[in-house]
Amino acid sequence: MSGSSAAEIVSKLAADYIDETPQKLKLIDSYMVFCVVTGLVQFLYCVLVGTFPYNAFLAGFGSAVACFVFAANLRIKNQPKERRPVLGLASRVPAFAEFVFCHILLHFVVANFLG
Amino acid sequence: MRFLTTFAACLCLGAFHVQAKSTAGDRVVVFVPKLDAASEYSQFLDSLGTRGFDVSFEGDRLYDHAIVLSPSSKKFGSGISVSDFLSFVDSGGNLIVAASHELSDIHRKLALQFGVTFEKRGSRVVDHTSHLAATVNQSDHSVVAAKQFAQVDAVLSKKVVGGKPVLFKGIAHAYDAANPLLVPLLTGARTTYSAASSAARSDVVLTGMSIGLVSAFQTRSNARVVFSGSADLFSNRLLGQKAAGNTQFVKEISQWAFQEKSVLRSTAHRHHFAATGETPEHYRVNNEIVYEVDLSVYYDDAWHPYVASDVQFEAIMLDPYIRATLNRTESNAAHATYHGDIKLPDRYGTFTFRVNYKRTGYSNVVVQDTVGIWPLRHDEYPRFLSAAYPYYVGSLTMVLGFLALSAAWLWNTEPKKAKSKTN
Repeated sequence: MSGSSAAEIVSKLAADYIDETPQKLKLIDSYMVFCVVTGLVQFLYCVLVGTFPYNAFLAGFGSAVACFVFAANLRIKNQPKERRPVLGLASRVPAFAEFVFCHILLHFVVANFLG
Repeated sequence: MRFLTTFAACLCLGAFHVQAKSTAGDRVVVFVPKLDAASEYSQFLDSLGTRGFDVSFEGDRLYDHAIVLSPSSKKFGSGISVSDFLSFVDSGGNLIVAASHELSDIHRKLALQFGVTFEKRGSRVVDHTSHLAATVNQSDHSVVAAKQFAQVDAVLSKKVVGGKPVLFKGIAHAYDAANPLLVPLLTGARTTYSAASSAARSDVVLTGMSIGLVSAFQTRSNARVVFSGSADLFSNRLLGQKAAGNTQFVKEISQWAFQEKSVLRSTAHRHHFAATGETPEHYRVNNEIVYEVDLSVYYDDAWHPYVASDVQFEAIMLDPYIRATLNRTESNAAHATYHGDIKLPDRYGTFTFRVNYKRTGYSNVVVQDTVGIWPLRHDEYPRFLSAAYPYYVGSLTMVLGFLALSAAWLWNTEPKKAKSKTN
């Protein structure tokens, strides 16, 4: 590995990601990218147009951020066993059920806050 | 001084009683030291008669106007005091007070109530460069030809201001320049000074422009008072001078004082929704309304439309939230209508809509209404804001994204090629 250039490192990283990451985690990753893009678009709109319906901005932007966080949690809990960090909190509920429950709650809150 | 009821008949005033030309009434009382003295001012008093005033020579609050032409009188008959004059003015009576170098304390006290401080008894106004040539004593320069007129169009016309000087023989007064109700109409020139008649000139206090010769005062209730340091100003001797502008000057200040000109009033005012034209019990925040006020001015014996460009509307709740200049939109024979398209503030509460028009020389016009401005009800706001559509779309896509991920998660099948490392 020694003496490899930055480009080599990046291409090795990408190749390893494509080869070794389970498809479920790739799904989550693309979902997280989607969250970031949605949040950024709303933030740019707010910067350009102004903060007038501020509650609506908070709801829309917060929705994207919260979805990102939930997805990150789901991803942590679904990593291969040897890479999974020791969280100390053993949940008996499957991670996906938690993910769904949080989302339902989140979207109710967002719809209320949207104005 | 005595009350001379019989003298009224001598002036044959019944004939002129028909038409009042003043807006405040047509009854004038004149205070003169003796009955004979009235003949000294006959030109002036006759001119009042021809202007429709009912002139007589006694007093009670039976009168609308009073002229005090008795500077040296120590009292105004029995039982008439300074406070009687004040309550006369308070109740809307108009007053002309003429003094001279021998004025009495009662005049001085009366004048002090209006911010006019007459000089010491015995002092005179002197001007060595601008005066009427004395026929007897060439060194007597106490008949001053004054032409420092105030630029107050409401009181003095261009004819007076640009015309001949006014002959003034009498006493100076100091005026309070900071008093907005008091306007010096005629002041001394730079060469004018006020001094005791004796040779000693060391007691000169007032000089130049700070000498008030004739001053006008208008109370907040629109009563008008004129102080002249000279009773001779009104006398036949000085009115008769060809080179002097006394006749026109006296005519205009007495017309002003007796409310024959520059009397402003608001005949009507209204406000309503701009769209529908109806006046509600209360408005809502941000309503578009129309405010209109009709203003008339009295001169030449009739009400005319009042033309100005500085009429303002105010919507006040402690502070003015709106102060807008109204535009004159239409005039008819009697009044001009001032119109404003107003957007009410984004603020609810009890507001005062006010037109507070106070201009030097004109009567004060204050028109006000108390109007409630209410906030919108909870169901009167717009349901969807166009500015917020991106946020609506953003949160909806998050919901759809969540559903898509959930579906993909549940129906996901790992590709067969998956390495053994993965779980």
